Amino acid sequence: MATPMVLAESVYKCFGRLEVLRGINLSVAAREVLCIVGPSGSGKSTFLRCINHLEKIDGGRLSVDGELVGYRQRGDKIYELPDREVCRKRAEIGMVFQRFNLFPHMTALENIMEAPLRVRGEAQKAVEERGRALLNRVGLADKVDVYPNHLSGGQQQRVAIARALAMQPKLMLFDEPTSALDPELVGEVLDVMRGLAQDGMTMVVVTHEMGFAREVGDSLVFMDGGVIVESGSPREVLANPQHERTRSFLSKVF
Amino acid sequence: MSTGSDAISDPTFPAAQRPDAIKAIPVRHPWRWVAAVVVLAFAAAVIYTFATAPGLQWSVVGQFLFYPEILRGILVTLELTAIAMAIGVVLGVILAVMRLSANPVVSSVSWLYIWFFRGTPVLVQIFFWFNIGSILPYLHIGIPFTHLFWIGTTNKIVTPLLAAILGLGLNEAAYMSEIVRAGIISVDTGQTEAAQALGMTRVLVMRRIVLPQAMRVIIPPTGNETISMLKTSSLAYIATVGELFFIQKEISNFNYDIIELAIVASIWYLAMTSVLTFGQYYLERYFARGASRLLPPTPLQRFRRLLFRFHEPPPVGPFEPPPIYEERLH
Repeated sequence: MATPMVLAESVYKCFGRLEVLRGINLSVAAREVLCIVGPSGSGKSTFLRCINHLEKIDGGRLSVDGELVGYRQRGDKIYELPDREVCRKRAEIGMVFQRFNLFPHMTALENIMEAPLRVRGEAQKAVEERGRALLNRVGLADKVDVYPNHLSGGQQQRVAIARALAMQPKLMLFDEPTSALDPELVGEVLDVMRGLAQDGMTMVVVTHEMGFAREVGDSLVFMDGGVIVESGSPREVLANPQHERTRSFLSKVF
Repeated sequence: MSTGSDAISDPTFPAAQRPDAIKAIPVRHPWRWVAAVVVLAFAAAVIYTFATAPGLQWSVVGQFLFYPEILRGILVTLELTAIAMAIGVVLGVILAVMRLSANPVVSSVSWLYIWFFRGTPVLVQIFFWFNIGSILPYLHIGIPFTHLFWIGTTNKIVTPLLAAILGLGLNEAAYMSEIVRAGIISVDTGQTEAAQALGMTRVLVMRRIVLPQAMRVIIPPTGNETISMLKTSSLAYIATVGELFFIQKEISNFNYDIIELAIVASIWYLAMTSVLTFGQYYLERYFARGASRLLPPTPLQRFRRLLFRFHEPPPVGPFEPPPIYEERLH
């Protein structure tokens, strides 16, 4: 079997005495779209942030593309990775945030070009070409020189997706990408994500958009209280939830 | 792509007939006029008193205003201010970053520095550097356990100017570091996270993402500090540095026209701080780019408004959408 893109084995995480993740087991194959749903406080965002080491895990194993996240194993011993190595690995994973987090002092194009130029040291001209192409891909070719504050929420989120894609990641993480948007702007962001999935991007999506999960997701996990309550194909889980907790959650969402 | 704005610009959606702008008789503000008269009367009284003060020789003020020694003093004042502020800003940024470091040793060093240099008067610090030769007559710089070293006379190295620069600059760094730290803290943590998620190292995140945004918060108080430094640099007179205050004092020691020369110095200090205030404004506008939708008016624009629209409310009404709003519709 091919190496999974993400492999979590009893991942454990606590903030002080609060146990946020209590043994998460899952695997995401390359080109797969995994949707994580669940009530707020269930640990789904924390788990997502563990995947690119924005949070450190306290127990278990978490690996991306066959390599441990934040650590290196030699024999029996596990070594913490130095900062530079962590950064290098993060650069291969794109992340999109609920509140966009575009850099407000840079134009849309500058936002996109920043990491390829500064992190990878790529040539200005190639990066700019790629940046323009990406803006075109997310339907914002005319917003090249516009500052984020002059864009609508949906446009900002599409720029944020383009910014993540500019690093040509092998995995994309979405942390409730449409939760901060006006309802009528949700569609344009989901459209871009749908296109990405069709192009074969491996994606882990924390979302409340059940329609998107059912239509685009290859698999779905329902999390609550730091554990995976139920998982399976989105259609099955959403249409025929086995667990009482899942059922009551879904009944409130729909 | 369906965005909310499409519906507005859609021609099939006829907007309601736009009503005529309201033509109302504006509220009268008689108290504004009363206040203006009172202020003007008071100002006239003050000016009259000084203009006709029997002991005040305005001719002396005029005589010394462009006196070569005074002009040279101004240059030294500017030089002192610029160098001390440069040291203050650079060291201040370093101290602020150190203060926020995860390394407890580094952070404590910064804390100690700020505690010491903010806790003692700058006049005392200048005096200390000026007289350091009395306790350390020679300065040795060498590599330990070798015979390679360099030695010099302290009084030749720490000139009066250097003593003043050290005193003012090191003290300023302590204040600046707190200003920079406040700026850094003001930047949303989401910015750091987004930058880290892109693979940027901590140094890169600080330099490219956090500090440029912190500038908006840092610049106004830094302008304040610069103006303050311009005046505080007069304390360098204790180290016999030939800056504006020292020069005017030397002259008045000689001719006893104390107030006249104080007025000369004040005119120049005011002129210099005015120029700085102006510069600060444009610097703020530059770093506000992307942050606010409408740049604030320049001082010139404000002045014009003040002159020609004295009794009008600020010109933002329902029929005057800010330009950027229109841009969004297209």
